[in-house]
Amino acid sequence: MTDEAFEPLDPLIHSPLRLAVLSVLVSVQQADFNFLKKATDATDGNLSTHLAKLEEAGYIRMKKSFRDKKPLTTCSLTDKGRAAFGRYVKALESYLPGRTK
Amino acid sequence: MKDEQAREDIRIIKAMLDRTRSATSESGTLFIAWGVLITLALIATYVLALLKTYRWEWMVWVGITVIGWVYSAIYGYRKDRRTEVKTYIQTAARHLYIGFGACGLLVGIILPRLDAYSHEAIVILIAVITGLLFFVMGGLFEWPLFKWCGLVWWVGAVGLTLVKGQNRILLYTLLFIAAYLVPAIILQAKYKQEKSAP
Repeated sequence: MTDEAFEPLDPLIHSPLRLAVLSVLVSVQQADFNFLKKATDATDGNLSTHLAKLEEAGYIRMKKSFRDKKPLTTCSLTDKGRAAFGRYVKALESYLPGRTK
Repeated sequence: MKDEQAREDIRIIKAMLDRTRSATSESGTLFIAWGVLITLALIATYVLALLKTYRWEWMVWVGITVIGWVYSAIYGYRKDRRTEVKTYIQTAARHLYIGFGACGLLVGIILPRLDAYSHEAIVILIAVITGLLFFVMGGLFEWPLFKWCGLVWWVGAVGLTLVKGQNRILLYTLLFIAAYLVPAIILQAKYKQEKSAP
């Protein structure tokens, strides 16, 4: 298989934690920071850093509010993020044997 | 990138989708609560029909509806405060429940009180909209059992036209237990089993 047969992967998604976050958000309307932390087994700091990168890229939307006087961060996927995730999954297929373009 | 890495990415995507799906599965508690309330109301309706005291029937149903709505509102409010994730399916299902409740109120109480049709037709029309509720729920949550129950309700609606009076209420009660209460209990047992699995 030549290199030309592989589709380029979005470097913003090509990180296990960012991919995991987008995989959760693609199937939900919105998810709290705590849910994402539990689902991805990430630490607070690590998750915050990666969420900031995804938000900066316009892939996710973060809303900060309060629940029971405690800060609450809610994340959701943007249209741009959904499209990028779709392209990423399609590109992944080109790396699997028998599924090249 | 090697194909092993691609496989690892796909494994991550699948694992996240599975975890999210498991975390957002429905317990069926509200469904069972409504099922118990309606079963009690059906038994009361049957007893009142036997005693030929029909004028109290509508009060039983109004009472059950008010209790059910208050319980649903409190349950929904508490669930919302605990929930960490919201899905499109949950939003769609919530609108479906509210729509079903509004249709039930119109078809079962308001329209018959306005003499739009005979009281005898109520259970038939309720069976039709219950069939719709189950069929759509089955499709939304990918529960084939509920889709089958939807079909049973629609066949049952036709079957209800073949019997009259108290027997119609009795047949409806049996239909309700078999195609509403039992599937809801099965759903909750499945939910508990999934939650207790390692």
